[in-house]
Amino acid sequence: MKTAQAGTLESMDCVVSLTEGAAGSGLAVTVGGASAARFGKAMEKRITETLQKLGARDLTVSVQDNGALDIVLEARVEAAWRRMTGGDGA
Amino acid sequence: MARNSVGRDLPEQIPGYGPVRPFSGHKARIPEGNRAGGKLKATFNDRTDKTVKDIKEAIKASGLRSGMTVSFHHHLRNGDYVVNQVIDACAEMGIRDLTLFPTALFGVHKALIPHIKSGVISRIMGSVNGPIGQLASEGGMESPVVLRSHGGRPRAVVAGDVKIDVAFIASPSADRYGNLSGRIGRSACGSMGYAVTDAEYADCVIAVTDNLVPFPLTPVSINQTKVDFVVAVDSIGDPAGIVSGTTQVTRDPMRLLIAHHAAALIESSPYFKDGISFQTGAGGISLAVAAFVREVMKARGIKGSFGLGGITSFFVDMLKEGLFEHLMDVQSFDLVAVKSIAENPNHVEISADWYANPWNSGAVVNMLDTVVLGATEVDRNFNANVNTEADGALLHGIGGHQDTASGAKLTIITTPLLRGRIPCVVDDVYTVTTPGEVVDAIVTEFGVAINPLRQDLIDAAKDAGDVPLVTIDELAERAHKMSGPMEPVATKDRIIGVVEWRDGTVIDVVRQLDK
Amino acid sequence: MKLRRTMLYLPGNNPNMLLRGWLFGSDGLILDLEDAVSIHEKDSARILVSRILREGEFGSCEVTVRINGVDTEYWEKDLEAVVPFGIDGIRVPKVEGPETVKAVDEALTRIEKEAGLTVGRTKICCLLETAQGIWNAYDVAKASPRVDAICPGGEDLTADLRTQRSDEGTELEGPRRQVVLAARAAGIDAFDTVFPRINDDEGLIRETTFIKQLGFDGKSVIHPRQVPIIHSVFMPTEKEIDRARRIVAAAKEAAERGLGAVSVDGRMVDAPVVKRAQFTLTRAGFFEEVQ
Repeated sequence: MKTAQAGTLESMDCVVSLTEGAAGSGLAVTVGGASAARFGKAMEKRITETLQKLGARDLTVSVQDNGALDIVLEARVEAAWRRMTGGDGA
Repeated sequence: MARNSVGRDLPEQIPGYGPVRPFSGHKARIPEGNRAGGKLKATFNDRTDKTVKDIKEAIKASGLRSGMTVSFHHHLRNGDYVVNQVIDACAEMGIRDLTLFPTALFGVHKALIPHIKSGVISRIMGSVNGPIGQLASEGGMESPVVLRSHGGRPRAVVAGDVKIDVAFIASPSADRYGNLSGRIGRSACGSMGYAVTDAEYADCVIAVTDNLVPFPLTPVSINQTKVDFVVAVDSIGDPAGIVSGTTQVTRDPMRLLIAHHAAALIESSPYFKDGISFQTGAGGISLAVAAFVREVMKARGIKGSFGLGGITSFFVDMLKEGLFEHLMDVQSFDLVAVKSIAENPNHVEISADWYANPWNSGAVVNMLDTVVLGATEVDRNFNANVNTEADGALLHGIGGHQDTASGAKLTIITTPLLRGRIPCVVDDVYTVTTPGEVVDAIVTEFGVAINPLRQDLIDAAKDAGDVPLVTIDELAERAHKMSGPMEPVATKDRIIGVVEWRDGTVIDVVRQLDK
Repeated sequence: MKLRRTMLYLPGNNPNMLLRGWLFGSDGLILDLEDAVSIHEKDSARILVSRILREGEFGSCEVTVRINGVDTEYWEKDLEAVVPFGIDGIRVPKVEGPETVKAVDEALTRIEKEAGLTVGRTKICCLLETAQGIWNAYDVAKASPRVDAICPGGEDLTADLRTQRSDEGTELEGPRRQVVLAARAAGIDAFDTVFPRINDDEGLIRETTFIKQLGFDGKSVIHPRQVPIIHSVFMPTEKEIDRARRIVAAAKEAAERGLGAVSVDGRMVDAPVVKRAQFTLTRAGFFEEVQ
């Protein structure tokens, strides 16, 4: 099972962890941490949209947030995805 | 339902609190009648030793029964053992349904939670934080928590809103006849200012000390005429939790930037001249503001009059450097401050009543030029919230926020525009602690918004040229743009917290979280 | 006549600094993908910086990105991720000769064309971090019209010179003079390296005063608290401001009266001196007087 992670727990950052899911299982997103209480739904939506745009299908996504704005959240999701798919490695 | 002057709809009665008087302006309520008072007592020469064996014996002697009100101070902060010890003893003695009336509670007091759940404590009037705040927010207390400012609390006592049956006063030093001092002892905390009014108005006063000294202990924080019993215990607190070592100015560049803007605003104001009086909190940004102001005072040869409030080593240094003539100390934050109040006659211990009570013949806050405060959030009307967190939980007390804001000529609130993703400048704060009518400026890393009520300050800041002025609407819009829209806090109707303005009117209420 | 007194480095994998670094009031920003980013985070930093360049805010700061060196596998990916958003320039580390500049120049041209940007708009600042780089300073400065500044290295350069960095900076004195000389000969700007001891204000003032006297236009900055200190050193004195005002006023009057020659304090003043005087007023913050 492939996994990948990106981001940090510094202020205004987040750690995005991806785990490959079974075919057809879809995207399962959970968000925890600093902003979850007031932004959780918006963050879940943003994560899902970002991954769909990148062509992701079946993934378990777990985000530990420490105050990431959408722009950062997207960057971390993209970085984790590219790490997992080897699309644009370092 | 009635709407108060900051637009909050309030019921006429709140179960567990009583009738509601809506807030109607920061100086609107004028009291009538006389002060309340404690029981009359006679003591003669056949009673020269007030010590009793232990806390339980003192409780027995005090006549404390179920349903009564007990008070405590928070000078031992997170090192305090006394609140927990006393309530443990009450529980063991079968006393229940107590109203706890502390000046504040700290994390260490989470040990009270089983006593709340079992009904030993049924009500808390005073700040709650951490686990107790969370418990209250989730509906775990029978009666709503009542929040009062440092000045509002002694007002409530003096006015008879709250009658203290027994005051338990943790005292770093005491003699057998009830003279108390915070200056010396292994648990020294410096000023004991929060305990003074309780000692004067409680029906019974019990001092708890771990440093019993020969009579007469002098100088005193509270004298023998107020104290009924003295209990010596092994330890009243953990010194490491009572005072911090030294108070450091932040090195975080963003906080320094905010502090820099706040200092520029103070410099631009008409109050920045010889005789300036000044209060800041011990928080990172506040202290950094003091550090900048200190440098400019030195550079421009300005001598201040007094520093007020919770006193840190930083203010002690300014006293030593001649930048202040006096420190008025209601609470000593660190070891340096404790040492200074014990040794320096210009470092003066004041009570919370003297510091901040609006209903006496003059509190020190009225003489204050400038105060630098924080907040969890502020809004377009300059209202400030210091009580609830972004998730709606009641986690902080009011402290001196309302009192200094109301008293000072220049009230500055410093805050980052966002904490993480959470906006700190919003359309409408979740809880109003301090109304915008007494807040003069909001200082963020994105600029300084001066209250339009203070055109004089706006003009002065423009003249100075180095204050990055913005409007409060610009700040709110920028914060919103960065964070995106917030989902509302899900609550039930039940009120779990009542926020009083310093005059006893209700400025806002906090509702139970729907979890 | 843009001010370039302070160019503040922002670590490329730090969202907090990337989003708010512009608030510290530096004249320019360097979003750093090189030394501030560990080898394991090159990919995520590149994505983050790219996003923030696309959607972030930088006030009135000049925005540049320090890419990884051309001796690494990262530099072209770095350029592709940042150049399309129309940044002001890039900083290229460890430039040793004109061929490095030419390689970067070609890549920039390709990316600018693909992104539909004006070819040549992305400037290059070359970091000369080896003895060879310093030796070739003039050739590097002239290697492409994109090169608008050169900057000596600090730690790497002293190591290459087989010495250590000292409080007095003796070891960097020669390279610094060489960089200013080469920059002026090529008609571009000279930036100084960072002052690494972030809590040593007096040392920073001393070093900045020295490099200003050598002729540097500004300094790279490693910590935000250094920005106002460097600005205050670059602040012209009252005397300099006064003289500059009189020169600018005289030039204006001469222009209005249709005179070619300008005289101030009994001395003839030519165009470069007027320009210099306008720059002095800009540095002092009197922007409107220069208009």
